[in-house]
Amino acid sequence: MKAMKMSRRGFMKACGIMAGYAVLSVNMTKEVFAAAMNMVGMRQKQVYDADAHIYKVRKSQDNPMVQKIYDKKHGFLHDGPCGHKSHHLLHTEYKDRSASIKALKSKGVTLSM
Amino acid sequence: MRSIEGVMYQGNAPKGVDPDSIFFVQVDTDKCEACGTCEEVCGTGAIKVINDDEIRQVVDPAACMNCGQCLVNCPYGAIYEGVSYVDELFEKLKDPDTVVVSMPAPAVRYGLGECFGAPTGTYVGGKMHAALRKLGFDYIWDNEFTADVTIMEEGTELIGRVKNAGKEGTLPLPQFTSCCPGWVKFVESFHPELLPHVSTCKSPIGMLGPLAKTYGAQETGTKPKKMYTVSIMPCVAKKYEGMRPEMDDSGQRDIDATINTRELAYMIKKAGINFNSLPDEDPDPVLGESTGAATIFGTSGGVMEAALRLAYEVLSGQKLNDPDIKVVRTHEGIRAADVKVPNFGTVKVAVCSGLSNAQKLCEEVKAGKSPYHFIEIMACPGGCVNGGGQPIDPDVRASLFRSMIAKVNRRYNARKPEA
Repeated sequence: MKAMKMSRRGFMKACGIMAGYAVLSVNMTKEVFAAAMNMVGMRQKQVYDADAHIYKVRKSQDNPMVQKIYDKKHGFLHDGPCGHKSHHLLHTEYKDRSASIKALKSKGVTLSM
Repeated sequence: MRSIEGVMYQGNAPKGVDPDSIFFVQVDTDKCEACGTCEEVCGTGAIKVINDDEIRQVVDPAACMNCGQCLVNCPYGAIYEGVSYVDELFEKLKDPDTVVVSMPAPAVRYGLGECFGAPTGTYVGGKMHAALRKLGFDYIWDNEFTADVTIMEEGTELIGRVKNAGKEGTLPLPQFTSCCPGWVKFVESFHPELLPHVSTCKSPIGMLGPLAKTYGAQETGTKPKKMYTVSIMPCVAKKYEGMRPEMDDSGQRDIDATINTRELAYMIKKAGINFNSLPDEDPDPVLGESTGAATIFGTSGGVMEAALRLAYEVLSGQKLNDPDIKVVRTHEGIRAADVKVPNFGTVKVAVCSGLSNAQKLCEEVKAGKSPYHFIEIMACPGGCVNGGGQPIDPDVRASLFRSMIAKVNRRYNARKPEA
């Protein structure tokens, strides 16, 4: 068992490297994620600052161009929100896409959901 | 393949192709360092180890919601986009017979400046409009206008569902938002039984496309056939949304091309425009003017706050004096709130970002235990400002040290005997 022998100094050094290495690799994902969220907070703050200080009108219903398009006499959407024309142009229907997920799962692909 | 603001893009501009067959994001296996960050941030588990070296790839387009969180979080720039309309758009801008229309999303103006050296999040809306004009767009219309229209439609829909709750023919509560294309594909794929809960409203860009080619064409005297509508998004999944076959209610394709914030920055640079010296300009008003309620669509909680600014006034019959409804502002994760409305009572709402959080709220609704009237969901943590099409945070990209650690990891794992 001579090969296993190590000086005390060497042992400590190896432990230090291993501990550091373990902590760093585990934390890497967290670090990357934390950096990204910090950036998000800064961008979000700017959004609310612009809402409060740059935009003169702050409610959708007070936008003059919104009032123009929904004008009851001459507006392009004169029958109002959720009216006939809105339903044709601005509303939609959704599609059940679960079959392709089932097909994937039956092929043995494991998904998180 | 070409590099655009640090991300690789395939020059592929599909027309009439089924978007379900396209990998909008994929891992370049030669660049992947097997660190696993992408798998960690993926909500659905679409990105998986494909070989013994622990290299990851998106396994199938059906499992991928196209949110692009893997791409913006990859420390090695190993994830590329599979669709880019940049070349086609440059051609259309040069063509005198094509009327090119811009439709930028709210969050773009809080990311674009970063590509030109501005501090994180700087608002550059005015310069963005000026740059679009310089690039040769004929009409500077703005997706913020239809964010306001979305509030009118979706708010009216919500009020209808609340007032008629329980009556036959009324769609159920809670109502989910439908602005986020990652979330919409998610609910269609994993919870189709919840589709009656999803607002029937298209997203703001889903509304601006057809309005541009009908109302916009009428207001400007343009032939709809000559129009080329360009959706400019902080997003990857909006490329999928723009290609949905049903998006043709104007009688044409409603959205002809979708690019993201990074690609817009690339185009501005490529055209030799000095972005920082541009003046602040307004959009063209008819389909361009917008409000603070529209700009906050770019952050988690924004659609909710904007909708409440309308719902409060309609339900109470009173003016909302302070438009700030801070209780719904959400940095990340899930937030629930009770909003007291005079002459009505309490409106119960939840705001959520990230698809694994969305999963929890979906399960609650399925179990019949959801107490809410209205739920806002965004696929990207924090909302669109953190979208998959936004400029990459320089802190995310690997330092030499981190990439070395990952390489050691990779070799170590490769040598590890079978577990």
